[in-house]
Amino acid sequence: MSELCWTSMTELARMIASKKVSPVEVVQAHLDRIAALDGKLKAYITVMGDSALAAAKAAEAAVTSGGTLGPLHGVPVGLKDLYCTKGVKTTGGSKILADWVPEEDATVVARLVGAGAIVLGKLNMHEFAYGPEGLNAHYGTPWNPWDAKTHRVCGGSSSGSGAAVAAGICPGALGSDTGGSIRIPASLCGLSGLKPTYGRVSRAGVLPLAWSMDHVGPMCRSAADCALMLAPMAGYDPRDPTTSVLPVPDYAAALTGQLKGLRVGMLRAFFLEGAAPAQRAAVEAAAKALAGQGASIEDVDLKTIGLAPGASHAVLAPEAYAYHEEWLKTRASEYGADVRERLRVGAFVTGAEYLKGQRLRTLLKNEVDAALAKLDVLLAPTTPFEATAVGQNEVRIGDQSLPVRGSLIRFTRPFNLTGHPAASVPCGFTADGLPMGLQIIGRPFDEATVLRVADAYQRLTDWHTRRPAQAA
Amino acid sequence: MEKLTVDALRTLARAQGLELSDAELASLLPLVEAGRSGLASIRDIPPETEPSSQFRIF
Repeated sequence: MSELCWTSMTELARMIASKKVSPVEVVQAHLDRIAALDGKLKAYITVMGDSALAAAKAAEAAVTSGGTLGPLHGVPVGLKDLYCTKGVKTTGGSKILADWVPEEDATVVARLVGAGAIVLGKLNMHEFAYGPEGLNAHYGTPWNPWDAKTHRVCGGSSSGSGAAVAAGICPGALGSDTGGSIRIPASLCGLSGLKPTYGRVSRAGVLPLAWSMDHVGPMCRSAADCALMLAPMAGYDPRDPTTSVLPVPDYAAALTGQLKGLRVGMLRAFFLEGAAPAQRAAVEAAAKALAGQGASIEDVDLKTIGLAPGASHAVLAPEAYAYHEEWLKTRASEYGADVRERLRVGAFVTGAEYLKGQRLRTLLKNEVDAALAKLDVLLAPTTPFEATAVGQNEVRIGDQSLPVRGSLIRFTRPFNLTGHPAASVPCGFTADGLPMGLQIIGRPFDEATVLRVADAYQRLTDWHTRRPAQAA
Repeated sequence: MEKLTVDALRTLARAQGLELSDAELASLLPLVEAGRSGLASIRDIPPETEPSSQFRIF
């Protein structure tokens, strides 16, 4: 297998710009690897081989002619299949949209392509992004590359993005995150993923799950690659009125490796105390590693955190129902059973309950803001446990039996409600060799600090450089 | 808060234009109940707390 498929996006961009490798070689290496592995992985719904190779040839010509190159010139990316792509079907992982071909690119797709990225294809996902396991009854459930023998979930809903980047069939991908759908698969697949602040990245041309909780962000093999991808994606977009006019900082320049003086809050109650022993130990060890470089660590408890599940139900369920209402009345049989039932729940949330959820959200956001007034970042496990087997519905932690679905989103969902930026980076492996994730939460629009901490941690550790055995 | 029944849920569903089978309603009922009771148990929201949804005119 070509080493090019394990080369970082940052390094690929450098190699292409300095003519050490051709974009055609890079794209072809990935297409060959997709052909070899994706029959089992089921990471892609649509492979765009012809258009990717044509774009690679054009990118090669631009390098040869000495033109101005974008920061992602010639670097392949994958797109979760809920990003609209002009002339290419965009299914949302559904049967309902199996043949839908948009007439326009999503803003972030246009921006990535404008920065020189080459789209390899559209990635599998939980149907309509409504599930944290990443299951898919229509296109097959992606296989977590970290276990060759047991079919384990990748985490969702961006499960294809997780499988593809972890298996080296794509160096970086777009995910989307409404309750943890970037961070959960990043955690379960050993990747770095960033949910930016709500309003930092345009949602225009992205199939919605819940408008007020949806976030768009990168999933890569390092925090540095997330910074590289985020830069062209971020910023105001007239097509999305919720985007901010705040200027976009230089994320790459923020990656100084410096941790001295950093004030870190450890989210202990609800988060650390709700995780399995291996995840707890890994996150504690990560905090110690940061402290060893001059960061100060203190415990933080969020008193309103218990409101998050109720608030999320009140807001997410009716927003999702509102988008799907007509199809639920006319094409219900075309949904997978789990997603159809989940969507129908939203029909029974009243207007008063929805607004109660939005008011609870204000309380939660205010408390996280108050904590971050004194601290630079907060730490927590990303998920309470590692990737479970497909079909497994419960996990035991101590004497407790926990539902897989509700538990996977427990630590990530609060920050979809508050809108704070949050990343997940690998922080260790279980005894069975499955990855675990460290969640880093920052102040609104301070992705630069979140990425700086994530990158500095990756300079101290090698978890993010490991490769799954079956895909190595 | 009074518990929902399958019949009550059927009436609510029909009012929304959803025709669901008995099996579908029975399967939905615990999910709807869990959401309702979870929200109902949350009290004492400070009265000055506004919803986080915003309407802005630039």
